[in-house]
Amino acid sequence: MKLLIIEDNEDLLENIQTYLKREGYICESAKNYQQAFDKVMSYTYDVVLIDIMIPGGSGLQVLRELQSVNPQTGTIIISAKNALDDKIEGLELGADDYMTKPFQLPELHARIKAVNRRQQHDGQNIVNVNEISINTKTMEVTVDEEPVDLTPKEYELLLYFSSNKNHVLSKQTIAEHLWGDYVDHLSNLDFVYQHIKNLRKKLEEAGANDYIESVYGIGYKFKVTK
Amino acid sequence: MKLTSKFLLLYLAVTVVVLGIGGYTSYFIIKDELDTELKWRFLDRVERVTYLLEQGKNFADKVSDQEDRNLIVSQLPSTVEPNVEVRDTLVWNERLQQMEPNLKMVAYRTVGDNSYRIATYGQLVETDDITEAVTKILLWILGMQIIGAIGVGFIVSNRLFKPFRDTLKRIKNFTLQDKEPITAEETNVKEFDDLNKFVEEMTHKAVADYINLKEFAENASHELQTPLSIVKGKLELLTETDLSPEQYQFVEASQRSIKKLSRLSESLALLTKIENHEFVETEKVNFTKIIKESTQSFEEFIALNGLDVETDLEENVFVEMHPVLADILWTNLFQNAIKHNVEGGSISITLTNDALTISNTGEAPSIPTDELFGRFKKADTNTSSIGLGLSIIKRIVDQNNYSISYNYEDGWHTIQLEI
Repeated sequence: MKLLIIEDNEDLLENIQTYLKREGYICESAKNYQQAFDKVMSYTYDVVLIDIMIPGGSGLQVLRELQSVNPQTGTIIISAKNALDDKIEGLELGADDYMTKPFQLPELHARIKAVNRRQQHDGQNIVNVNEISINTKTMEVTVDEEPVDLTPKEYELLLYFSSNKNHVLSKQTIAEHLWGDYVDHLSNLDFVYQHIKNLRKKLEEAGANDYIESVYGIGYKFKVTK
Repeated sequence: MKLTSKFLLLYLAVTVVVLGIGGYTSYFIIKDELDTELKWRFLDRVERVTYLLEQGKNFADKVSDQEDRNLIVSQLPSTVEPNVEVRDTLVWNERLQQMEPNLKMVAYRTVGDNSYRIATYGQLVETDDITEAVTKILLWILGMQIIGAIGVGFIVSNRLFKPFRDTLKRIKNFTLQDKEPITAEETNVKEFDDLNKFVEEMTHKAVADYINLKEFAENASHELQTPLSIVKGKLELLTETDLSPEQYQFVEASQRSIKKLSRLSESLALLTKIENHEFVETEKVNFTKIIKESTQSFEEFIALNGLDVETDLEENVFVEMHPVLADILWTNLFQNAIKHNVEGGSISITLTNDALTISNTGEAPSIPTDELFGRFKKADTNTSSIGLGLSIIKRIVDQNNYSISYNYEDGWHTIQLEI
């Protein structure tokens, strides 16, 4: 997958690039409006990450230009402004998703994947992890062609794991992905464990390998050997 | 009271006092003038009689006591010094059948060797008559003053004060959110021009300050979130490396602090936004619906904490508020009730058309309950709490002119919101 990251902050850019390159993505970057404009106009990308506040112009303007030449490109806005206006404007302009800083890299990755899946044509809605296959359109999960009955939260959890294979995901990260801001104020995150236990049990009963590995004291890892 | 009415009343009060004093003085001046005039007339008469006596005319038979032409001339047995006596007296008036005040003049004159006593008297103008005349005149003047004052007042309030009223109206309609300062309009009155210019400068400054403040709040939030983002990412990348469980714990603790810092800056930015009146457009928000939906979203956490939630909600209760604020208000209230609860505790929510009451079991607060609405005031040392939730609630409530109270009694925290 080919990505363009429009972000003026070097460190942040490096974080994103480091994380995504490990996934085998081709990452290009643009640090100001002019660079972003040139790249968007000259090349095509699968997904473009856009920071709204960039030197020399607005990320929203880049989005507008991109939409005019390449409307099928997936776009995710990254903004430090949790301003409703920007969010609405960005989504109205055709952005596929909107993330507020500070975000989690696994969350960003999951969203990139989700956006990319939506951009693809039919048949590409299947995410395969060895014997497990997840149909993101019908939200059905099968293990060796046998359907597994999962709750919506368990489905989300599995999809999130499959998007972040071999990464350590903390309980906090998982909780925030599944419940968003609601978990902001909760100190007890035991319910994450509860959901993982159930998911694990269901997958094992269906005959899948146990990919979910507990990382002591921090969280979980979806371990898939390549 | 309107300025013109006040001015009018003050003016009339002064007029009445002035006219009163004027009337009182006029009365004495008129009376004095009339009396003096009568005295001069009598003195004149005495002089003529004296002249006639000198000419040798005998008045012995010609004493008349006819009304105002009365004259009594009598010869005195001895010689006296010439003298004039004037005094007031009452004389019986035949026609009016009553005693009337009169002026009596007695003059002593010596003509040749004989001394004469010349007496005459005349009716004074009645004091009642003077009073009546003066009062009548004054009432006329007063009447005309009132008409004049009202007329002037009308013109003043309509014409003269028009620029003032226009300015007032523009100030009333002025809102910072529009970011439109009031422009001064030319009038031909110096004071109004000064006022308008002042208002223009002031609103210019207010708008500039508002924009600055807004930008600062936004920038501060932005500038803070970016480095936080970086640290967060670095820590995430760090967890990908080979860390010992102990090192993971440190990373996890740092992550939590970063999350808290980021929430803190978001909450402060939100408070600033509310204080900057960015959410002033209100609409009717179905509060019952918001509560019902959120209790569903929180269901899992409620069950996990073993909480028992009782709701008694009236259908379709509406509040006038910005929808975002209504949502934040309720979420904060409800999250507080969950967060500050005890294991296996309860939450009770009652919504009527007049009030929303949310109670939850919990530890007794360590500081007085009304102080908890202040910023960074925390009842317990729960580290995940940043202490801005109730300040945000209070700001929202104040801005929408509702009232809120917080009570703690017998292990129950109760927050009541009058709507």
